[in-house]
Amino acid sequence: MRTALILLFLLALASVPGSVLPQEGIDPSAVTQYYQSHPSLAPILDRLSLFNVFSAPWFAAIYLLLFASLAGCVLPRTFRLVGSARQKPPRAPSNLGRLPASATYTTDLAPAAALDSAAGLLAGRRFRLHRGDGWVSAEKGYLREVGNLLFHIALLALLLSVGLGGVFGYKANRLLIVGQGFANTPTDLDVFRPGRLVSPSDLQPFSINLLSFRAEYVTSGPQLDQPITYDAAMSYRPQLGGPVKHYVLTVNHPLVVDNVSVYLIGHGYAPIFKVTDGTGKVAWDGPVPFIPVQQTTLTSEGVVKVPDAQPYQLGFAGVFLPSAAVSANGQLESVFPGPLNPRVSLVAFKGNLGMNSGEPQSVYTLDTGGLKRLPVAPRPLSAGQSVKLPEGAGTITYLGYQQWVSLAITYDPGQLPALASGIAALAGLILSFLVRRRRVFVRAVSGPDGGTQVSLGGLARSDAAGGFDAEFAELTRLLRAEHDGRSVQASRIGDGTVDGPDDFDDRERGRLAVPAALTVAAATATDQASTGESGAGEPPPPEARPAVSRTAETATPEAPAVANPETLTGREEE
Amino acid sequence: MPVNTTLADFSNGLLLSTLILYALAMLCYASDFAFARHRVIAGTGEADAGAAAPEAAAMPELVTAGAGSGSAPASGASQAGAASLAIGGRQGSAGAGTAAVAGAAGLTSHGGPSDNAPASRWPSGFWLRLAFGLTCTGVVLHVLAILTRGLAEHRVPWGNMYEFIGAFTCMAVLVLIAASVWYRAYYMGLFVLLPVVLALGIDLTWIYTPAGALVPALQSYWIAIHVTAMIVAIGLFIFGAVVTTLYLLTDRSQRRLAAGLPSWSAGIWRHLPVPSILDRLSYRSVLFGFPVWTFGVMAGAIWADHAWGRYWGWDPKETWSFITWVVYAMFLHARATAGWRGRRAAWIHLAGFACLMFNVIGVNLWITGLHSYAGMS
Repeated sequence: MRTALILLFLLALASVPGSVLPQEGIDPSAVTQYYQSHPSLAPILDRLSLFNVFSAPWFAAIYLLLFASLAGCVLPRTFRLVGSARQKPPRAPSNLGRLPASATYTTDLAPAAALDSAAGLLAGRRFRLHRGDGWVSAEKGYLREVGNLLFHIALLALLLSVGLGGVFGYKANRLLIVGQGFANTPTDLDVFRPGRLVSPSDLQPFSINLLSFRAEYVTSGPQLDQPITYDAAMSYRPQLGGPVKHYVLTVNHPLVVDNVSVYLIGHGYAPIFKVTDGTGKVAWDGPVPFIPVQQTTLTSEGVVKVPDAQPYQLGFAGVFLPSAAVSANGQLESVFPGPLNPRVSLVAFKGNLGMNSGEPQSVYTLDTGGLKRLPVAPRPLSAGQSVKLPEGAGTITYLGYQQWVSLAITYDPGQLPALASGIAALAGLILSFLVRRRRVFVRAVSGPDGGTQVSLGGLARSDAAGGFDAEFAELTRLLRAEHDGRSVQASRIGDGTVDGPDDFDDRERGRLAVPAALTVAAATATDQASTGESGAGEPPPPEARPAVSRTAETATPEAPAVANPETLTGREEE
Repeated sequence: MPVNTTLADFSNGLLLSTLILYALAMLCYASDFAFARHRVIAGTGEADAGAAAPEAAAMPELVTAGAGSGSAPASGASQAGAASLAIGGRQGSAGAGTAAVAGAAGLTSHGGPSDNAPASRWPSGFWLRLAFGLTCTGVVLHVLAILTRGLAEHRVPWGNMYEFIGAFTCMAVLVLIAASVWYRAYYMGLFVLLPVVLALGIDLTWIYTPAGALVPALQSYWIAIHVTAMIVAIGLFIFGAVVTTLYLLTDRSQRRLAAGLPSWSAGIWRHLPVPSILDRLSYRSVLFGFPVWTFGVMAGAIWADHAWGRYWGWDPKETWSFITWVVYAMFLHARATAGWRGRRAAWIHLAGFACLMFNVIGVNLWITGLHSYAGMS
């Protein structure tokens, strides 16, 4: 348990940097940005995998250790549970008055008859019974340990499911402009992150065309600019050459094809440009996706690369304003995310785009190293307007815009097992919190006055939900009524609970008659620093050690002399 | 559908009235501490308080209370019992012999659970009744404020930070009321309402967001499942954290008194039960809250899978809900580990709550992620 505590703490601690520092797997552009603003610190953090915390070796080490310790704890406990479920409850202790909960009364019934009816009562309440000479032991609540084990085993299963998804699943992204389509093949996807055992031929062969995209925004009031709906109408073929189907993709309603889910995760504008180069040839004609840099108004930035332009390659860096308006400080900016007044302003470059160097280039940034900025006065273009480039470099015309959506495509075979594990874990957790394992003992002996003295004793371990006292009191009441018992001599209905490990430790079987703490007695007083984890040798914490006996108890005749009041107290809790 | 602004304004008014009622209730709870005398409360933390009232009298903690301030182990158990019950389960000096007679009978003669009249689960005393009445009226207005907000917006009324705080503070007060009645934990009123009033005040002033529609990402029935579970769990955790704080304070005060050191706050803690009862109450709140939190995280994962294409992606909010879960799991393990029960476990409990609060407030305000719905940008 101590190991588990330390590892849990390390796990929590190790997760913190993952939420504070930008993460490669979540927001790569933020990592790039971090590199730019912290040029000396970033490489060090990178060496420590701090931009990739959740797949870092040290993070894996912690959770693997945790799960190893969990497995090492759960397996023996499962065997012990199976063992104890087959064994009978232990013998009743000789002095029930020393148990956390106890009661004594006398009846006119013969001892055997009294025990018979006690056994009947307990059996009727689904206790497991063990009868001996003059006593009955009863035990109940094995489901508690079952729930506990189920919870921990389900956590192991959850980890395996996550691993399963990571190995056999894949994730992909695709930016899709309205009117375009793609097939689910690695070459046709923008980002493709396959699991370790996924080969390109494993990809489900569907294809998708984006027919239209509609975004609605709040047009007035305090929530101005806030999106209300995104609808992406698409047609798709589940199989190559198969029938065409239609689907309107919205957030929260993914398209599921062949166990692969397609999600709508973003959208933006793609201005359409036509570039005529210096030789009069059309070197580019089509939409170019711009990336929103301002989410509320969808001010977007992008670049147009025209590598085929002659005599120079051309490049443009642009800003797209869906609803351009002059702001109070005289600047042109977008005031609304919808396309009320779309404008593009461009900065033009000519020279070498650097696309032949062999190094992969982002389509969203311009490498200006080999480029020369052309002296063009920046001017917001509306649809149909052109800019004639100086030095005979050509012309660029802004023709209008199209919208694009970004799609996430995921295949995760571990999903269902993970869900099942999660539900099992929750069920186990609730079970282990609700059920308490408890033992009730009954002894009946002939008393000196001819009557029969019946004593009851009970204890519960980890009575998390409470209520054992009430149960014991109820049992006592019922049995007493059944026996027509009279003259209660001693009763102790305190907190019939012994703190300790989650279950009765069956190594104690046979001597567990008396709760561990009672047998350890005063020796523990000097032994507070003991760190033993088993219930047996465990000192009660200071606040759980009442200085005096918990009840006004009448000692039964065979009760041994108590040297220290603490021996009577047992432990409270839970 | 457009927002019904009249109804939304009405909701704001209701929430403000709620805040005022809670503040008044706080004053009354404080007056109860100041003026009420010799009320035998049994803050036993027992679930079956009504039925098990006599057992409450025999709770070991009560005995501890009597001996709490360092009196030597009493030779006669009944003596200790008398002293303890006299102060009605409240903590205090052993020298509080003023009412020593009162409880003696109750403890020494419990022949069976049915022999004693059960202590009432309802509040007693003018100030306490008034305080509890104000709390209950306040929570009715609070629920109405949330309902009208939802009706005004035609949606689940916890779609942004303002609404979320309004909802979980309401849950915290509901937990307070339930604990007051079930566990007779009326002494918690003042201490739970304090953070609730502060949070509602901040909510109404700095965090206020006008009523409106939900962004597409939140338009799912999962908001009713995931966010509701989180609200319930947070309400329980708030209560648990307050109890734990009180546990640590009373425990400290008691240990100081036991060591013969002065404790300036002992006069306040005199109105509370002994630390071990508080400890158990806080544990119970986690026993309730932890499965709900677990369920909430799982529901969130399922929703994330619907909305974002993965059930777990280490988004900052997810990461911190995981950290919170782990720290509360640590608390549960600490409770079953030798040498960690009591104060150390209580500190872990508070650490878990700190993580939770950072998740609720810090992540919304300072860290950008997929959960940036606070509506405060």
